[in-house]
Amino acid sequence: MLLDLHTHSIKSDDGRAKVENYCQWIRSKNLPIDGFVLTEHRQFDAESDYSALAEKFDLCILKASEVETEYGHVLVYGVTPALQAEFDFGSISLPLAKVIAACNAHGAIAVPCHPGRPRVGMFAHTDALGVPAGVEIVEIYNGGSRDQEDQIAIEHASQLGYRGIGGSDSHIVSHVGRCATRFDAEIKSIDDLVLALKTGQFEAVNLKTGD
Amino acid sequence: MAISTIQEVVFGEDLPTFEPDTSLATTRQFAALVGWGGARFSDHEAARKEGLAGAMVPGILNQGYLVAMIHHWAPNAEIKAIDTVFRAPVIADEKHTISGVVTDVNEADGQVEIDLTVANEKGETRVFGTATVQLPIA
Repeated sequence: MLLDLHTHSIKSDDGRAKVENYCQWIRSKNLPIDGFVLTEHRQFDAESDYSALAEKFDLCILKASEVETEYGHVLVYGVTPALQAEFDFGSISLPLAKVIAACNAHGAIAVPCHPGRPRVGMFAHTDALGVPAGVEIVEIYNGGSRDQEDQIAIEHASQLGYRGIGGSDSHIVSHVGRCATRFDAEIKSIDDLVLALKTGQFEAVNLKTGD
Repeated sequence: MAISTIQEVVFGEDLPTFEPDTSLATTRQFAALVGWGGARFSDHEAARKEGLAGAMVPGILNQGYLVAMIHHWAPNAEIKAIDTVFRAPVIADEKHTISGVVTDVNEADGQVEIDLTVANEKGETRVFGTATVQLPIA
């Protein structure tokens, strides 16, 4: 099963894509992905219900978050009300250690995204701040990467023993599905996704390059 | 083929790609005309001293190129909105390509949503955005 684990809709301040149009695009272009995860910036979109769209287009549509820490941006899968009470999702300077500890306490998982990117990527900060404890997975393929950002992510992840996921980081409709993650298991819910990430049965896929 | 009515538009169709004039001469001239005569728009070396990769094309000139691209596709379109996110500078004298694709068609009100991407030769997105375009209803 192939899921794009990093997308933004108009719920994000810089997102320009309607979720229905993502679905139409995936089907009209016969993209090989089976669904996508909405990772809105600095929030968890609790109120939107995409179950009707998921059924209409036979796609898995899940919700997560992208939060901001001193190590850059971090995807959080498995957000619950209890996890939301642990820290301010709207903050732009969360301590990564606090985010990871809260995720671990509430059955969620934190995944630094575009870690090879200057300023907003984790590996831009490890020289100054050290390698953070508790990271197990990073995004190694990001659809918006420039220059050598993905290569930096892959090399550092390999050195540190991290596993890698892929996501398009799409903000407009036509960018969905540029990168994704292949799972052995069938994913139907966010709980399924968190379990699959924690048990390690997945691989990052770059659909731009075929890697 | 130029588009003239909403009925001719198909969801997912690509607009003809457009190669903007990113020459330093044009960039410098435009920046001076709009009162942005700073070095970052007119001189590669001076721009590098400011930490840029070179002189850059002003954002509003990029937006103008996006509008031009849409009008090449649909000359009588009324562009209701252009909404851009500048991810990285568009560097002057480097070849860029603007691509567009239709991502929403509303035949009832004649409006179309278009995804727009400005990419460099490495295929890196420098600017992305969307446009809302009004077309005549046949």
